Amino acid sequence: MRASPLVAVDDLVKVYPARGKQPAVQALRGLSFSVEPGEFFGLLGPNGAGKSTTLGCITTLVRPTSGRILVDGVDVARDPLQAKRRIAVVPQTRNLDRDLTVREVLTYHGRYFGLPAAEREARAERLMAELQVAEKADAKPLTLSGGMQQRVLIARALMHDPKVLLLDEPTTGLDPQARRLLWETLKALHQGGLTVILTTHYMEEADRLCQRLAIVDHGQILTLDTPAGLRKGLPGGQILDMWVRAERPLAPELEGLPGVMRIERVESHGDWEGLERLRLFVDPGDGLLDRVLHVVRDGGADLRHLSLNAPSLEDVYIHLTGKELRE
Amino acid sequence: MTAFLALLRRDLVVASRNVGPLLMATLTQPVLVVLVFGNILPRLHLVADEFRTVMVPGLMSITMLMAGVQGVLMPLATDLSGSREVDERLLAPISVLGVAIQKVVAGAIHAAVAGLVALPAMMLLMHRVTGVEVHPRWGALLPLVVASGLLSAAFGLTLGTRVQPRFSGLLFAVVLGPLMLFGCAYYPWAALKVLGPVQYVFLVNPLVFMSEAMRVAVTPDVPHMPLPLLIGGLLAFMALFTILGARSFEKRTVF
Repeated sequence: MRASPLVAVDDLVKVYPARGKQPAVQALRGLSFSVEPGEFFGLLGPNGAGKSTTLGCITTLVRPTSGRILVDGVDVARDPLQAKRRIAVVPQTRNLDRDLTVREVLTYHGRYFGLPAAEREARAERLMAELQVAEKADAKPLTLSGGMQQRVLIARALMHDPKVLLLDEPTTGLDPQARRLLWETLKALHQGGLTVILTTHYMEEADRLCQRLAIVDHGQILTLDTPAGLRKGLPGGQILDMWVRAERPLAPELEGLPGVMRIERVESHGDWEGLERLRLFVDPGDGLLDRVLHVVRDGGADLRHLSLNAPSLEDVYIHLTGKELRE
Repeated sequence: MTAFLALLRRDLVVASRNVGPLLMATLTQPVLVVLVFGNILPRLHLVADEFRTVMVPGLMSITMLMAGVQGVLMPLATDLSGSREVDERLLAPISVLGVAIQKVVAGAIHAAVAGLVALPAMMLLMHRVTGVEVHPRWGALLPLVVASGLLSAAFGLTLGTRVQPRFSGLLFAVVLGPLMLFGCAYYPWAALKVLGPVQYVFLVNPLVFMSEAMRVAVTPDVPHMPLPLLIGGLLAFMALFTILGARSFEKRTVF
C-alpha cells in the first residue's frame, strides 16, 4: 500500500490584491503537487515564478486565495498552529535574531516550541556540531559569514524536530565553496531521513539534490518528474547549441537534415544581443556536424559559437519555456 | 501560551541587556524637566509652587507614553525590516494575533517599569522642596500604571505598523509632541473648565486619561477627572489601539 503524501498541495491559487497604483498580481494559477515522506523535492523556476509564494502558503505566511494544503494530514489553513509544529523554514532572507547569540537563537527557538530545558540545550549542542557552527556558539549572528548564517538557519529550523524542511533559495548569494558545503549538508540531512522541499533557480543545484523536480513558471507547474526523466523527455540524444549571425534564417534548411529532430530558437540577451541562438535536438550520427556546418557556410552565416552537449535541466527549461533561465 | 511566554521572555531578556541606555532614554526627560520647572523656575518665581505637584503625575504619564510607544515601535522596525525577523515569531506555534498581543504586553512592561522608576526619581529630586504634595496611593497606582502601559504599547503597535520607519522622526514631531502638550500633563483636566466646552475636545487625546490616572494615584489632593470617565477612557483607547494595531500588524506580516 502506498503511504499518503507528507505534503499535498492542491490547486493552489494566489492573487495579491491591487495596492495603490500597483495592479493585482496573480502569483499562483492552480498549482498542485505532493511530496512523499523522505523525499527531496524541488521547485525550479526564474524569479517571480511563484516559488516563494508557494512556500509561503505551505508555511502559513501567505494566505492562498483558493486551494488546499495538507501537511502530514493537517490542513494548513484550518489548523496553522499544528501545521507550524510539523514544518521548518529556512527563509530566503537571513532573519536570525540579531540580539541573541547563535546558541541562544537555537535554544529560544526550542523554547518557542515548548522543548524542556535539558532537551533544547542538548539539541542545540548537537545541531551546532552537526552543522559546523559550534565554534561560533557565543557570537552574534550578524558577525558570521553568509554560509555560516545559512547553516545556523538550518540548525534553528531543525530544533523542533520538524517533519519537513522547506528551504527558499538557500544558496543564493553564497560563494561556490559555501554553496558546495551547503549541498553536502542538505544531502546528509536527507540521507538521515528528513523530507526536504527546496526552491532554486540554479539548475545544477536542482540536478544534484532533488529526487523529483517541478519546473514552475508564471505560477504554474510546467512539468514534474525526476531530473533524469525530465531530460529523457527531450527529443534526440544530444543538444547542438549554436549562435550565428545570419543573413537569412537557417532553421528551415537545418530542420531538413537527417539526424536533426527538432530546432528551437531562443531569445538571447546580454552579450549575445543581435545573434541568433539555435538549439538543435540531434541524434549525432555519421557526418551530422559536417552537414550542419555546410548549411551554415552556404548560408553565408557567421558562426560565433558551437557546442554539442548531453541535455541538461537547463535544456529542459528552455525547451519548455522558450527562454533562458535568468539568474 | 508556551510560545507567548517564551517570546515575552526573549524580549525582556534582550531589554534587560540594554538596561543602561533604556534607563537613560527613559529618565533624561522627566529628570531635566523636574530640575528646570520644579527647581529653577520656582526659585526665580516664574512658575507657581503648585506647578510642581501638578507636573509630577503628568511627567510620569509622558514617560510611560514614550517608553510604551518606543518599546514597541523600535523592535517592530527591526522585525518588519528587510530581514523580516518577525517571520520567526510568526512561525512559532502561536497565532498572528498572539504575536501582536505579545508585542503589546512587552511594550507595556517596558512602559510600566519606566513610570515606576520615574516617580521615585522625581520624588527624590524634589525631596524637601516645599509645596510638593505627592502622596502615592500604591493600591490604585499599580493597576493604573498597568492600564496606562498597555494603552501606550497598543498605541505604539498602531503607529509602528501604519507609519513607515523613515517617517518616525515626523511621527515624534507631529503626533507625539502635540499629544504631550495637550495631554493634561502640565495642567489638570478639571481646571480646563475655564475653557468651556473645549474642555471635552481634550478627551480625544489618550494621554489625557493617562495623566489623570496618574493624578488620581499620585496626587489625590489635586482635582481630577471623575473615575468612571477616567476608567472608561483608558479602557476604550486601550481596546481601540489594540484592535487597530493587531489588524495592521496582520496586514503587514501575512500576505
